[in-house]
Amino acid sequence: MEKTYTEKIQIHKKNKLAGLYPSVKALVVLLYAICCFILSTVKLTEYELALLLIPWFLVIPVLCAASGAFNKCLKAFRAVSIVALVIFLAQSLLIPGGETVLKLGFLKVREQGLRTAITLSFMVMDIAGIFVWMFQTTENKEFSRALENSGMNYKATYVFISTLQMIEILGKNSKTIMNAQRARGVETEGNVIVRMKAFFPSLVPLVLGAVISSEERVLTLEARGFDVACEKTHLFNLEKSGIEKQVTFIAVLITIVLLVWRIYLWIA
Amino acid sequence: MEKKHSIKDDFNMLALLIIPVAVAVNFVGGQLASLLKLPMYLDTIGTIFAGMLCGPWVGAVAGGLTNVVTGIANPVNFAFIPVNIIAGLVVGGLAVHNMFENWWKAFISTIIMAVISIIVSAPIVVLVFGGVTGGGTSLITAAAMAAGANIWAAFFGTEGIFTVLDRIISCVISYLVIKVIPPRTLVKFRCGSCYIKK
Amino acid sequence: MDCVIELKNVTYSYPLTTVPAIKDLSVKIEKGKFYGVIGENGSGKTTFCALLRGFAPSFYKGDLSGEVLVEGRSTLEYGPGELASKIGFVFQNPFTQISGVKDTVFEEVAYGLENFGVPVDEIEKRVVEVMKLTDIESLAEKNPFDLSGGQMQRVALASVLVIEPEILVIDEPTSQLDPEGTESVFKIISKLKEKKKTVILVEHKIDLIAEYADEVLVFKDGSLVAAGDKQEILSDMSLLEKGVALPQVAILGNTLKEEGVPLKYIPVTEKQAEEVFSELITGKE
Repeated sequence: MEKTYTEKIQIHKKNKLAGLYPSVKALVVLLYAICCFILSTVKLTEYELALLLIPWFLVIPVLCAASGAFNKCLKAFRAVSIVALVIFLAQSLLIPGGETVLKLGFLKVREQGLRTAITLSFMVMDIAGIFVWMFQTTENKEFSRALENSGMNYKATYVFISTLQMIEILGKNSKTIMNAQRARGVETEGNVIVRMKAFFPSLVPLVLGAVISSEERVLTLEARGFDVACEKTHLFNLEKSGIEKQVTFIAVLITIVLLVWRIYLWIA
Repeated sequence: MEKKHSIKDDFNMLALLIIPVAVAVNFVGGQLASLLKLPMYLDTIGTIFAGMLCGPWVGAVAGGLTNVVTGIANPVNFAFIPVNIIAGLVVGGLAVHNMFENWWKAFISTIIMAVISIIVSAPIVVLVFGGVTGGGTSLITAAAMAAGANIWAAFFGTEGIFTVLDRIISCVISYLVIKVIPPRTLVKFRCGSCYIKK
Repeated sequence: MDCVIELKNVTYSYPLTTVPAIKDLSVKIEKGKFYGVIGENGSGKTTFCALLRGFAPSFYKGDLSGEVLVEGRSTLEYGPGELASKIGFVFQNPFTQISGVKDTVFEEVAYGLENFGVPVDEIEKRVVEVMKLTDIESLAEKNPFDLSGGQMQRVALASVLVIEPEILVIDEPTSQLDPEGTESVFKIISKLKEKKKTVILVEHKIDLIAEYADEVLVFKDGSLVAAGDKQEILSDMSLLEKGVALPQVAILGNTLKEEGVPLKYIPVTEKQAEEVFSELITGKE
């Protein structure tokens, strides 16, 4: 039988991890971040480095691969790793204090610098990484539906989804306007002042147009019954992948084990 | 007698629809700035615009949402959610108190906005990222740190100048846009009537 | 005839203006009739539409005196969203009529029904039906923002029609469209006429009004300067002085009549002209 339109807009995921209910993914993110903080308090080697954050990071590529989204996540992870790298270099090379751990020509890596370098850069890698996993395996409409299910007002989810679309539209429009300005002879190359001057005529009409459109869109929404006080229907439905309970259990278990171990280390 | 103002009134339909526009403008502004290779971020124009027109609460939501949305692509941005929320709150608060009615008030407002935004972002940049985020001004901050400057001093020095400039330009653009919005549209915004010439 | 909307001595001005956009207007809209609204730019046509739907003053603010009654109740008394199911509204700009939250045309058209809480199965059925009516079924899985102006306008019409309002207010739906888009939109409008909906259509293209309307309302400077049967209004030469562009055939008919040619009546559409003139010719033979 031919699929109905309602069926065509549903999202069915074969991968059970990628298909986890969004709130379970959020719980995994939260617990993973808590574990990061626990692990960052464990100092190893004579320099007291939070080295455990490094193997903990490996959870992320494994999780992404198991969710069948490794390449997608890798792409999104590029920006994060650049930030982490900059932090690592800046901290290890710039912060004085403690004895010198490593000498690279005129650059010196000092103890204190290395300590903050590892903690900060891997905290960023870990926590940003787990978010990358969540966002790359979940579609926006799944998020908005989950938010609405958990009691968020439909107007708020409208704003969220409409924002994502608006970015796309204004992004396109800005290119059009910029090309038009160029064609009219507005200089977009040259010194800072010249380029600065190009910024205004490119942006002002864009914002103005968007504001005027919003005014009309208010009426459009009202004409579509946006304000009607009743239970809204949702054509799109969230699905559970079936392993929500198991995943929650494992995530909670790991967190508790880590916590108990950490407390044991303190007492012993 | 003026009716007591409630936050719910701030979020009327028009304000709700301005939020996506504001976020998108932040986004496009930032893109355009890097496309034109300007030494500034210019990625809070939308937040400032929303705050100036619709007051602090709408401004705060526009600011916060910007970082939530950009955080989806690069979660590092989540760390700066408070900075943008407060930016929206401050500009909206100033607008509600008519602090954009003439150029000298607007100038003072701009300085206040810049100062508060630096104060809020400083602890995040320094504590979460160790003072260097890899952004445009990071190099200067790093150089100052390498020259032996205190990490906080290095941050305030470099970031300070750029933030003030950034905010001045952003405010000017928001103001230019507001000036060309027809009055009969302006009156529908909470702070819109402040910008209509009497 | 049932009266579905009635304006009683309505005067309305937008905020910050001193000249009212509508002055002391009284008019009755009857059920099942097709109204063509004409007049120069700024004559109050769009304001009239906004008043019918209650957008003025609820959204535009401003000052309203007199009453606008929809099915006997003032528009001011209707709660949020209540009028949406009674009166469908289509605007000029196709782009701003896209909700901005849906990825496909199918979902876009279904959006109104979701808001009204209609059950899923019924939504699918009604949306498919209206997509056929508006000839957009082939676009069902496309992104609404990727469509042409004419296609977007048809999606906008479909999104309103799917709610099945008895009354439709359509404000210059084709002013931003190319001829092809215009034709496709009017194909749909003619189907509405067949369905006996009450339609209030603002349109500059006078020949289209002549073809579809039952009654014509003529606005000038915020007042209704003429109203009545289209045959009568569109052949009234005195309206030319009031800035109304009459159909070419009507002007021709009037001129011929003045010169003593015995026309049966003044034609306002091409079809009528054909009838009148061929009768004239065959009669002479």
